[in-house]
Amino acid sequence: MAIHERSLVEQERILRKERLVVDGVDVSGDWNLIILPRVIEDYDLDFAKEVAESPDGKTITQCYQCSYCTASCPVHNYWDDRYNPRHFIYLARLGMVDELQKRADVIWRCVSCHKCTHRCPKGVLVEEVLKVILRAMAKRGLIEEYPSKKFDKFFTESVLEYGRIEDGELLLGWVEKQGYKLFKDPILKKPVPLIGDAPLWLKQLMLKPIKSMNVGFLMLNAKHMLFHPRTKNWNKFKQVLRKAMEEEGALK
Amino acid sequence: MSSVLVVGAGPTGLAAARGLAKLGIKTILLEKDSELGGNPIKNHYHTLIPRKLKPSQVLGPYIREVQESKNVTLYLNTELVSCEGEVGNFKVGLSNGKTETVGAIVVATGFEHFDPKRKGELGYGLYPDVITNLELERMFSQEGKLYRPSNKQLPKRVAFVFCVGSRDRQLGVTNVHCCRYGCALSGLQGSEIREHYPDVDVFCYYMDVRTYGTWEYPFYWAPQEEYGVRYVRGRIAEITYSPADGRLRVKHEDTIVQRPAEVPMDLVVLVLGMEPSEGTKKVAKILGLKQDKDSRFLVPSDESGSNIVSNKEGIFIAGACKGPIDIESCLSEGEAAALEAAAVINTKVGV
Repeated sequence: MAIHERSLVEQERILRKERLVVDGVDVSGDWNLIILPRVIEDYDLDFAKEVAESPDGKTITQCYQCSYCTASCPVHNYWDDRYNPRHFIYLARLGMVDELQKRADVIWRCVSCHKCTHRCPKGVLVEEVLKVILRAMAKRGLIEEYPSKKFDKFFTESVLEYGRIEDGELLLGWVEKQGYKLFKDPILKKPVPLIGDAPLWLKQLMLKPIKSMNVGFLMLNAKHMLFHPRTKNWNKFKQVLRKAMEEEGALK
Repeated sequence: MSSVLVVGAGPTGLAAARGLAKLGIKTILLEKDSELGGNPIKNHYHTLIPRKLKPSQVLGPYIREVQESKNVTLYLNTELVSCEGEVGNFKVGLSNGKTETVGAIVVATGFEHFDPKRKGELGYGLYPDVITNLELERMFSQEGKLYRPSNKQLPKRVAFVFCVGSRDRQLGVTNVHCCRYGCALSGLQGSEIREHYPDVDVFCYYMDVRTYGTWEYPFYWAPQEEYGVRYVRGRIAEITYSPADGRLRVKHEDTIVQRPAEVPMDLVVLVLGMEPSEGTKKVAKILGLKQDKDSRFLVPSDESGSNIVSNKEGIFIAGACKGPIDIESCLSEGEAAALEAAAVINTKVGV
């Protein structure tokens, strides 16, 4: 059966069966399609409580939905209006998890500029609250591993290993993880982004600072690329940190 | 020396009578019910906004002073039936057969709560678990516990339905005003529920929340930040009952999410609006007082800057007969009316 005004019906509300037998009667054909209603049937208060009762999420109760945060948010204004901190707060406060999940593809896009938190007239720590919402969703498997998490992981691994990051390694390593093929020098196996299949924007990006940097700084960077900088006495602390993070499930 | 008639012995009338008596003026206090105190006493209010005091704490001293004063003549179960004459010399007929002569009249006939049976879609009277905020107050003050009337059990969820009988053109132009107290009282009742029963979830369904002035924090934010009361934007359009689980469903659109919702609730509390009382309408007719053409509440005279002075010289209007008002302001207006009445009868005021 055809659906009229198909654009108004979300895919997940459409149930269509090739063959449908009800009480022994084959009703396939015209009756094999059901569109589920849009009605909210209940709140997931366990989710709402988990967010509101966590130490960094408790300011969620202070929100009066003025949307100062959303009006200030660069992600909402310049990228996608489906990213709306004010709305996420409302949804999380009532535990409307299905609505949050509809925006799972954008909800992680916070750039942590903290404009929302600085400007909120009610003192809601918006950015922290949103992270709590993300965490609660991730814990329930409601949110996919999002692309920026690849960067987070790479960053975390680097810090865990050396106590600090190395800019070149972080940038180029992340570019590689995004699927770009970089030329590597045959001896040290370090990526050389100025030649080979590296995308043009990366070549330009790398060339610009090289042209304008002073020699001392260039040398320092080259040294860091060859010998990864490392925090003093990091090895002892590394073990403690890794253990603590493993216990909290932060390394998953 | 001329005396003053005070019509109505609610907070406003009590304050007026007490004020007049203190000034040494003979006062006749009429009350159509059998006890003093008006709605807060008659309907067993539990806690009064905004000072969170009990009615006995606020009105007790007034009642006591009025009862003990030798200047006050008290007529219970008595109504005003007629009035002739003019300022300084009103001849008033009372329903107990007496006729009195007074110099000035203070009208403090007040309001009455909206009858929720007029909103059939909300199921009041049909489902026992749909109650009014007055019944909830009585539950607190008389029985000291929260329960579902259908099975006497503690509800898991309580919903407050704002603006029942307020801001509603469907009921006619008589009910287009805001009740002023509903938002604040619901916040307070919600907090009380959460304070005593932390496992009960409380939801307030609102269009907008009008806890004006200093009420903003104690009756809007404290419920949310300290007690975890939840606010949902959307007016409840219908209340239904599900025999499958024995719970009610509150039907509304969540206007922020823009989706229809039918959420299960165990106890639904209707937040009632205010209307002018029958007494107010009757007295307005007898005394020829100006009424608002829509709401039928009394309106003060345009000539006087004071909002106590009526269109009839020597007659003063105070309190909830002029529209929704909180109890603190009722007491102040009663006292202001006492002052105006005293000035009119030109009595030497002894200190």
